[in-house]
Amino acid sequence: MMLNDLISKWRGSKKGSGQTAKQRLQCAIVYDNLEVSDDVLISLKKDIIDVLSKYFRIDSQAISLDIERSPDSSSLVLNTPILSTIRR
Amino acid sequence: MEGKVIVITSGKGGVGKTTATASIGAALAKEGKKVAVVDMDIGLRNLDVVMGLENRVVFNIVDVVRNKCRINQAAIRDRRIDNLFLIPASQSDNKDSISPEEMVTVCNEFRKEFDFTLMDCPAGIERGFENAVAGADEAVVVCTPEVSSVRDADRIIGLLYAKKITPKLIVNRIIPSMVEKGDMLSHEDVVDVLSVDLIGLVEMDDQVIVSTNTGSPLVMNKESKAGVAFSRIAMRLNGQPDLPIDIPKSQEGFFSKIGRKIGIRK
Repeated sequence: MMLNDLISKWRGSKKGSGQTAKQRLQCAIVYDNLEVSDDVLISLKKDIIDVLSKYFRIDSQAISLDIERSPDSSSLVLNTPILSTIRR
Repeated sequence: MEGKVIVITSGKGGVGKTTATASIGAALAKEGKKVAVVDMDIGLRNLDVVMGLENRVVFNIVDVVRNKCRINQAAIRDRRIDNLFLIPASQSDNKDSISPEEMVTVCNEFRKEFDFTLMDCPAGIERGFENAVAGADEAVVVCTPEVSSVRDADRIIGLLYAKKITPKLIVNRIIPSMVEKGDMLSHEDVVDVLSVDLIGLVEMDDQVIVSTNTGSPLVMNKESKAGVAFSRIAMRLNGQPDLPIDIPKSQEGFFSKIGRKIGIRK
């Protein structure tokens, strides 16, 4: 064993590979849980159109719904033209 | 009273689902319960060889689903342990041969005949998984302390929650000396990552291979640490949920432990 290893072991600063595994897993699982399948997106879009239609006249063909990913966040971006509001 | 259907699953293959199913099933039967273990890995039948019952297969689970035979005709009685029955998988069909809806119906039949029905789920998240889980009341997820297995377990746990099942976790093949060195995920790490309740910890044990080689039940071997751990998991499933969970420890001697601590031993 090299002297450096010895010293770091005595100082308790050397982490085993188990901790590396744990951190990598936690990150991987966070990313896994951010993935949205197309099926989910399609049914979400349908639900959103239903809700919006209660308040606005919209062109359901013109709605776009996407997930935008950047390295540190994921966002849901909805774009729709409003044709008119529905007066109540 | 109606019995329980419990699915043993994992996502990843080769983590010990089949051994867990055979061992927990045998342990429950030894406690006097009437137990069916069902091989749901249709097309890749294995539970029969692991249990040493491969020469007695006549009917299989697909025959039961298709009403070609009754459950008690397909069930192979284990001659070493009373009240233990195997329903083998079909080797010539595939996972699409049966449907989750059909399994729900069949599981209702199992509940009437057995105290416990253990479903040995195939690896994967496709049709085979859907079939095995469809009629289950409870789920046990098996994982090993490795990144691939834990990640797959997380996926499986998510899918089980979506089906309104809260699974319990077995961490299998723990190597205590590696955990103590910090070179293996500890069971606390795994539970932290997966945030799910434990039902047992099983140490890496050569006796598992010996018992599958001979097709003899692991839980009959009192020397086997894995066998003892599986027996205790069976007790937790069978009305003793609070039975303490033993944490595997290495047999390392005092001096080698000191040596490792001060860095003169790996």
